[in-house]
Amino acid sequence: MTHVPIPRDGSPAVLECHGVTLAYGKVPVVEDLTLAVAPGETVALLGPSGSGKSSLLYAIAGFLRPRSGSISIAGRAVSSEREWVSPERRSIGMVFQSYALWPHMTALETVAYPLRRASVSAAEARRRAQELLEGVGIGRLAGRRPAELSGGEQQRVGLCRALARDPDLYLFDEPTAHLDSALRANLQEQLAGQRHGSRAAALYATHDVSEALAVSDRVVLLRDGRIVQVGTPVEIYERPVDLWAAQLTGAASRVHLVVEGADGRAATVSVGGQSVVVQAGGAAGSGSRTAPAAYLEAGGRAAIVRPGWLHFGGPLPGRVKQTWYRGPHTDYRLDTPAGDVSLGEAGPPRFAPGAEVSWSLDRVWFLAEVGTEAASETEVGPDQA
Amino acid sequence: MWRGAGWLAVALAVAGLAAVPLGALLGVALTDGWRGLQDSLDPRAAQALLHTLVVALLVSASAVAGGTAAALVTERWATSGRRWLRLGLLVPFLTPPFVAAVGWVRAYGPAGLTDDALGIGWSGLFGPAGIVAVLAVHALPLAYLVVAAGLATRAEPDLERAARVSGGSSARVLWSITLPLLRPALITGAVLVFVTTVNAFGVPAVLGIPAGFGTVTTRIYQDLAFSADQAAFSRVIALACVLVVVAMAATGVATLAGRRATVRTGGASGPDLPSPGRSRLPLLVLSVYLVLTTLVPLVALLLTALTRAVGLPPVPENLTLDNFARAVDGRTAAALSNSVLLAVVAATFALLLGALVVILARRRGSAVLPAIATITFAVPGSTLAVAILLAYGGWLRDTLLLILVAYLAKLWVLGLRPLASSAERLPPDLLFAARASGAGPISAFVTVVLPMFRPVAAAAWLLVFIFALHELTMSSLLYGPGSTTLAVAVLNLQQLGDPTVTAALAVLLTVLVLVAAVPVLLFRRSMFEGVRGSGT
Repeated sequence: MTHVPIPRDGSPAVLECHGVTLAYGKVPVVEDLTLAVAPGETVALLGPSGSGKSSLLYAIAGFLRPRSGSISIAGRAVSSEREWVSPERRSIGMVFQSYALWPHMTALETVAYPLRRASVSAAEARRRAQELLEGVGIGRLAGRRPAELSGGEQQRVGLCRALARDPDLYLFDEPTAHLDSALRANLQEQLAGQRHGSRAAALYATHDVSEALAVSDRVVLLRDGRIVQVGTPVEIYERPVDLWAAQLTGAASRVHLVVEGADGRAATVSVGGQSVVVQAGGAAGSGSRTAPAAYLEAGGRAAIVRPGWLHFGGPLPGRVKQTWYRGPHTDYRLDTPAGDVSLGEAGPPRFAPGAEVSWSLDRVWFLAEVGTEAASETEVGPDQA
Repeated sequence: MWRGAGWLAVALAVAGLAAVPLGALLGVALTDGWRGLQDSLDPRAAQALLHTLVVALLVSASAVAGGTAAALVTERWATSGRRWLRLGLLVPFLTPPFVAAVGWVRAYGPAGLTDDALGIGWSGLFGPAGIVAVLAVHALPLAYLVVAAGLATRAEPDLERAARVSGGSSARVLWSITLPLLRPALITGAVLVFVTTVNAFGVPAVLGIPAGFGTVTTRIYQDLAFSADQAAFSRVIALACVLVVVAMAATGVATLAGRRATVRTGGASGPDLPSPGRSRLPLLVLSVYLVLTTLVPLVALLLTALTRAVGLPPVPENLTLDNFARAVDGRTAAALSNSVLLAVVAATFALLLGALVVILARRRGSAVLPAIATITFAVPGSTLAVAILLAYGGWLRDTLLLILVAYLAKLWVLGLRPLASSAERLPPDLLFAARASGAGPISAFVTVVLPMFRPVAAAAWLLVFIFALHELTMSSLLYGPGSTTLAVAVLNLQQLGDPTVTAALAVLLTVLVLVAAVPVLLFRRSMFEGVRGSGT
């Protein structure tokens, strides 16, 4: 299956990678990757560590020369077989996982640095750097060095440094990986605020699903240096291509059911002898038929459900195995004729482990294929991912 | 009880190695008061001091510049062959300095290799220019090591990348980011080289004495030969004190200059990638430098050692092993066994003493003992030798024990430092984890701590062994008829003017040192990073 991930609105792309292959020595880390990002668009690169996200960012920034393929930024070829543009002459701003703040410079000097390199006068550079720092709420810390700043403050300085360059393309290399969750949300907000209305594109590498879904217009799912799926956050969450993708992007339970009939987007499925009508869809398989119909024919493909696609009350029996109270909502693990499934519901727990409950299905998603062996049966929740 | 015995042993060692000799020196120096000290600094002594300072400044500047350039090439530029370049850069560090000087004489001096082959002989080699050149080449690895370590720990690649994506060219990034971050390493490197150079004896002895160019250390060596003469003896004492003052002053300046320490920030940095799209020219320059300064002198030395007489071309019929046979005749064979014995005993004692101090100081959180060990290391070898001669010369004169005391005083910090820094970096969690797994304090120590320290201990032992093996400065002042060391034998032969046998003996000494150094060089990473690697 080939994905040709191009921007939706048809405007010329800010970033174009074509057939990019990266390797350290003989070890390939990214293989034949093609990707384009439109002006104003934020694309999240989501994948486990070692999937090639950071390497791809390094290649786009110009720290790593691709084995093959070409990269262009704002319509200008920066890396190909013949051309090579050094990092400082690419129109990029980068935010690093390690913050990469220079220990010998104050926040103000750090943010003024890209401006000075762009031949802005010293006074003007300082004025604009101060403005940028005010913009993320740390103007009063302008005179401090990194050692005197907290992690969240350091990363905001890093963000301002990238903003100061006013580039065509932002590269975010897991910028919140070292921050706790409150600071993470705060930084995401800052970032969204700064990016709002900008024509610059952004590529955001992360291994955190909720972050990828929250910050991006599109998500690129990477596994072992190859693109597994590209789509809007909603598509990525609701329409995973395979079990690996489903489990990487949130809690997903495989359900065992028999499809009795399919009618467009609705299907009648039977769970333990009880029939339920559900909304159904499926990843396009090898055939051209809609997924439920194909499933009806092939009869053996896996179906998954997200915790939000189930509710209590209905014709199906089950028993609560475990509950997790998460604050805004509660997750239940149910032992049912369809197998072990996860159900999420707003509010505090209503049932204790061991309670007999009734439940029903709202929708199911049929996978194109079962997925990798390693991913079979195990369930990966967002908190464990 | 055991603890008490341990402290007693350490206290005795500190008193015997540091307090008594330095006290004796100070006592003699101050009997006539500062006035007397000043009076004994006659114009020749003052001139020697000036020579020492000028040479040390020139050597520091060039070694730090060269070491920084080399570190940038191997750590940031090189894509391949990095490992071999690193090894090549460390070789001069391991060849004894006076051997390097002899090698340069055989390679580039009058009647040397280039003189014979091309008619190019450098007569300036004997004198200040040659001394500065050989000392700078020899000190470059020291500066290189310090700067390369600084590059690895302070100037993380991400910091430079952040500057590149901010629009800085590679030259600009070097100037505005890399070098400022390296400032502490540059200062440390410069001071280390400066102090080492002020203390250097072998090179000025080989290249300076024949030219009548005296430094403080060679003056002490020459004056001590006439120590029966009261004026010469006071001059030795005065010069020994002056050396300490110079070394201390340099260290003090560095401490002040390096005080505004910068703290590293953030978490793990990005990978250390070879930079794309770069020319191979710096690699070539570095390789040529290594060949000219290190390989050619060693080859010239080897050829001289294998040739029947100086001046004969190295063709098969002129080659001989006679020089080696003559080099290891009765007297030098004794010197050889003296040196090996001294090195083994000194290394073992230094390691034991170091381990004892680490174990004792860990509980008490004491920093005093390591500081004392550092002081005796910082005291110039010539001064330390004079002090030990004053303290113990009465009963131990001309014995190996006198030299052993000097070696231990000078080198026990080398046994202590690696152990102490590993102990500092040892994450307490590792011990806690062992305890939480059911190990008692002793079995936790045996199963977790000891295995982690084994490589470090081996490296420390070898380091002391190597230093002791090619030590010349102190043994040249302390040796007697029965206690000649190999290095002293080489120097004496050189001064007698027997180039082929000198070369043969120098080759022997170098081979010994290199053989001892091979494990350190090959396993440098695992030996020194054993503990750190398992941390965090």
